[in-house]
Amino acid sequence: MAKVAGVFAASHTPVMLNFADAIPARERDAVFVAFKDLGRRITACAPDVLVVVSDDHLHNFFLDNFPAVCIGAAESYPTPVEHWLKAEHRTLPGHAGFAAHLLNEALNGEFDPSFSMELTLDHGILTPLELAGVARGTPIVPLLINCVQPPMPSMRRCLQWGRLLYAAIASFAGADRIAVLATGGLSHDLATPRMGLLNDAFDVEFIRLLGERDDDAVASYASAHVHEAGNGAEEVRTWLVARGAAQGGPLEVIFHKGIADWYTGICIAQWNEVLS
Amino acid sequence: MSYLVSKVLYRLHHRPEDLAAFTADRIAYLERYPLSEELRRAFQDDDVAALYRSGTNPYLLRAHCIGVGIPEKVSLAALRSAARAHG
Repeated sequence: MAKVAGVFAASHTPVMLNFADAIPARERDAVFVAFKDLGRRITACAPDVLVVVSDDHLHNFFLDNFPAVCIGAAESYPTPVEHWLKAEHRTLPGHAGFAAHLLNEALNGEFDPSFSMELTLDHGILTPLELAGVARGTPIVPLLINCVQPPMPSMRRCLQWGRLLYAAIASFAGADRIAVLATGGLSHDLATPRMGLLNDAFDVEFIRLLGERDDDAVASYASAHVHEAGNGAEEVRTWLVARGAAQGGPLEVIFHKGIADWYTGICIAQWNEVLS
Repeated sequence: MSYLVSKVLYRLHHRPEDLAAFTADRIAYLERYPLSEELRRAFQDDDVAALYRSGTNPYLLRAHCIGVGIPEKVSLAALRSAARAHG
């Protein structure tokens, strides 16, 4: 059966690719170096499959039919879907076998995801992979959580999804090593009058609680305070999935800085120990 | 009406032929939709504040701003003006 080879999380924003020069070169380079470090760490854990927990920013899904949770079950994924994203067009390999297993485990476990066998992935998945230098090679399984249009899955449910993901990895016979990368957040507001304002206090406390053993504390904090951290902060749901997959192990912060001119609290982190 | 604004924004940036038609003749393209006069003008004039006030999904609005090349400073200023107008 497979083991959880590594659990990671990283912020994403298309600004990193489209308007990277909106911040001083030294600050930008520090972020990019941290993403390279993330890439080395992902590569070092030698995953056969990389589950990327992210959100679809209304590209594959629209308000006529919007899934709370969707598992990508394709053999490959063209990207990017945004005609305006400054990124190389590439096709990422998928791992339909683990996707099918996760889907079955979810439904048998009384979770109710949708699935898609055709997704064109957006910056949420592409940007961290691109900057980390791992946007080719390892087959991915996208796990897309609605973080963009209320109502959204609860913070507690996202933790539960992570624990389900851990169990699905542990019961999968088709690979040896499966890593998890969550992308999104942290505090940011987009297309509102608050755009460019961050909430460092929220980010710091959320990161601290992510590495603590108390599931209830981090879920309660996120539920109660996400509204103070901007509409984009709703993406911390993906981090909670990752935390759930790490079974509440300790968190190493690789990089954290609120970058107002990128409109986003940028954090990159790894759960160094996956509890069993 | 916010659903309709969202629908226009979504189509513009997921159907290349729609964006081409919008780019070629905004007035003619917008006639496809039963938009209010105010919102029709908002699309025509890249009035980001008015589109924000429509209640459309912010991710669609953000993608539109980048997708039609509205300068970042212009869209940020417009969004902040929307806050001032509503206290």
